[in-house]
Amino acid sequence: MTAQTAGPETLGHLSDEPPPVDPNSKKAEAITGKSPLRIAFGRLARDKIAVVCAAVVLFFVLVAIFAGVICSIFNVDTETVLATTRVNMLNGGLPKEGPPLHGFDPAHPFGVAPNTGNDNLAFWVYGCRTSLLIASIATLFASVLGVILGLLAGFLGGPVDKVISFFTDFFLTVPFLLAALTLAPIVAERFSTSPNYPRIQLIDLIVVLSMFGWMGIARLIRGEVLSLREREFIQAARVLGMPTSRILVKELLPNLVAPIVVSVSLMLPAFVAAEAGLAYLGIGVTSGISWGQTINTASNFFETYPLFLWEPLIGIVALVLALNLLGDAIRDALDPKTRR
Amino acid sequence: MFAYVVKRLIAGVVVVFMVSVAVFLLFWYGPNEPARPLCDRQTSNHCDTVRLARYTENLGYNNPVYSEYGKFIKGVFVGRDIKIGTKERPCPAPCFGYSYRTTVPVWGEMKDRLPATFSVAIGGATLYLLFGIPIGVAAARRRGTVADKALVSSFLVLSSIPYYLFALLTWLYLTVIFEIPLLSNTGYHPITDNPAKWFSGMLLAWIVLGIFGCTQYTRYSRGAMIEALSEDYIRTAKAKGLPQRTVVYKHGLRAALVPIVTIFGIDFGVLLAGTIFTERIFDIQGIGFWSLQAVGAKDLPVVEATALFSAVVLVVANLLVDIIYSVLDPRVRLS
Repeated sequence: MTAQTAGPETLGHLSDEPPPVDPNSKKAEAITGKSPLRIAFGRLARDKIAVVCAAVVLFFVLVAIFAGVICSIFNVDTETVLATTRVNMLNGGLPKEGPPLHGFDPAHPFGVAPNTGNDNLAFWVYGCRTSLLIASIATLFASVLGVILGLLAGFLGGPVDKVISFFTDFFLTVPFLLAALTLAPIVAERFSTSPNYPRIQLIDLIVVLSMFGWMGIARLIRGEVLSLREREFIQAARVLGMPTSRILVKELLPNLVAPIVVSVSLMLPAFVAAEAGLAYLGIGVTSGISWGQTINTASNFFETYPLFLWEPLIGIVALVLALNLLGDAIRDALDPKTRR
Repeated sequence: MFAYVVKRLIAGVVVVFMVSVAVFLLFWYGPNEPARPLCDRQTSNHCDTVRLARYTENLGYNNPVYSEYGKFIKGVFVGRDIKIGTKERPCPAPCFGYSYRTTVPVWGEMKDRLPATFSVAIGGATLYLLFGIPIGVAAARRRGTVADKALVSSFLVLSSIPYYLFALLTWLYLTVIFEIPLLSNTGYHPITDNPAKWFSGMLLAWIVLGIFGCTQYTRYSRGAMIEALSEDYIRTAKAKGLPQRTVVYKHGLRAALVPIVTIFGIDFGVLLAGTIFTERIFDIQGIGFWSLQAVGAKDLPVVEATALFSAVVLVVANLLVDIIYSVLDPRVRLS
């Protein structure tokens, strides 16, 4: 845009339409119909920060998927060993070989944990898997629940809307951290003797995360639907006698892709952070492997063995930061009003 | 106005009632043997079936749930007696039961811990505003400059880092590694005993909370300020020759503050309800840390009481925000 002409005295270009092009030029051929999502994707691919962030996220996803393969390549595992074979108990439980007292140890590229002698690399890649697994399943559940409730509340209106809106507000009032905190001892009391306890804990965590994650997206979708349902194409569908379920899925849902994508891409990092945070407090994954748990242990050894803390910390920060910035970039790319 | 307040008040009471029922049912039906944590503790892990049955009977778990809920609510308002072990113990109002760990009334312990949480919340929230709004206003006035862009993007990165990691790293570096004299002695010391010690124990928690929280306020106030400064009345104010300072602060900021007050009220409520991470990391014995310790020890009455407490605080905060909002902004229709 030419900034000089857009001063207060002249109005500048009144329309944003591009100047007419010569129909025979190369440029004219390139102009073809593109769906809004294609356009957004093109913008995203040109955004350098977004590309870097997507690469970082992809790296973590691959680590999570191929955790077993990575462990076997480096010949490490998560099995607990007799601690004294790897750590020196007389020396505050610090490892015999590798950091922090000695140099790089090829048998354990990330070092071993003090006191327990667990391999850090194996715990890191499986921690990544736990983190992404919980976050993505919870995101899936929360967004499906939020979209369904938002659609129903916005489209049906009346008492349905009132009830759903009340519960949305109700759940927004209850702080998520406290709910997780309240549920943790009950689940522990009920199932701690069960052989499936680790799995139950995982499910409990996913349920709590999704139960307190759906409200934002439900509100957003409800608002969008409220304005969309008065539009002509919905009225046309109604006149044609389309059943409500079909209107919701075939007519409304495709128009809501952009807000859903944005919400989902910002929900994922929040859940990754929440999972690790709960594990750090000792109320999330306690009987499995999690970055948050390692951070909790490692903060006691920070003075003598900072690397032990930095490994999971960098994992969380890099993943959450990349996901957040990617989410912001997606939002900007999907928003036609963003200034470029 | 009066009708609106009454209506909101009733809605708030309904929400508190629902939360109390939900929490009570959760602790009633949730655990397999709700009396076991207490029984284990009192008999030093020699809780056999006979003893467990006695504890279950004494704690009222054999009675119908509604009558026990009634007793619980009655206890909150007028107090009641609770039988633990063999003794009947008085529990004056507001009674939330006896702590399984310390066998003292929950409310008594909570009263001791409230000042710590309030200190964290008030200090942190003050810094939210003290850092956030001036930086946001300054950025809005310099919109589009390099400084503004650098500020916005660095705050975006900072707010993308999980809060607890930021707090943990700050704590580790400032108190464990470098041992900065004024900051390294974190923890809560009653203000009435030694105000200087109280201040230095809280200072780091406030700063960390303030810096992290102010990123949000900078963003809000920057956005609200940009919007306000582009209004017609700002141009009018400039045109009639008012000094820049008056235009920005008196005409612009006043309009921009309305949405910020709303968000601030709710954030302050969340802080008062328990700053779990902050208290855990900086070792401050407040409500949040207490509930965390209670979870570890399966001290169910304490967890129940803290959950109820924070629900009440949040409902009250929401209520106040709505009322203040309707006072500040006459365009809000009260219906």
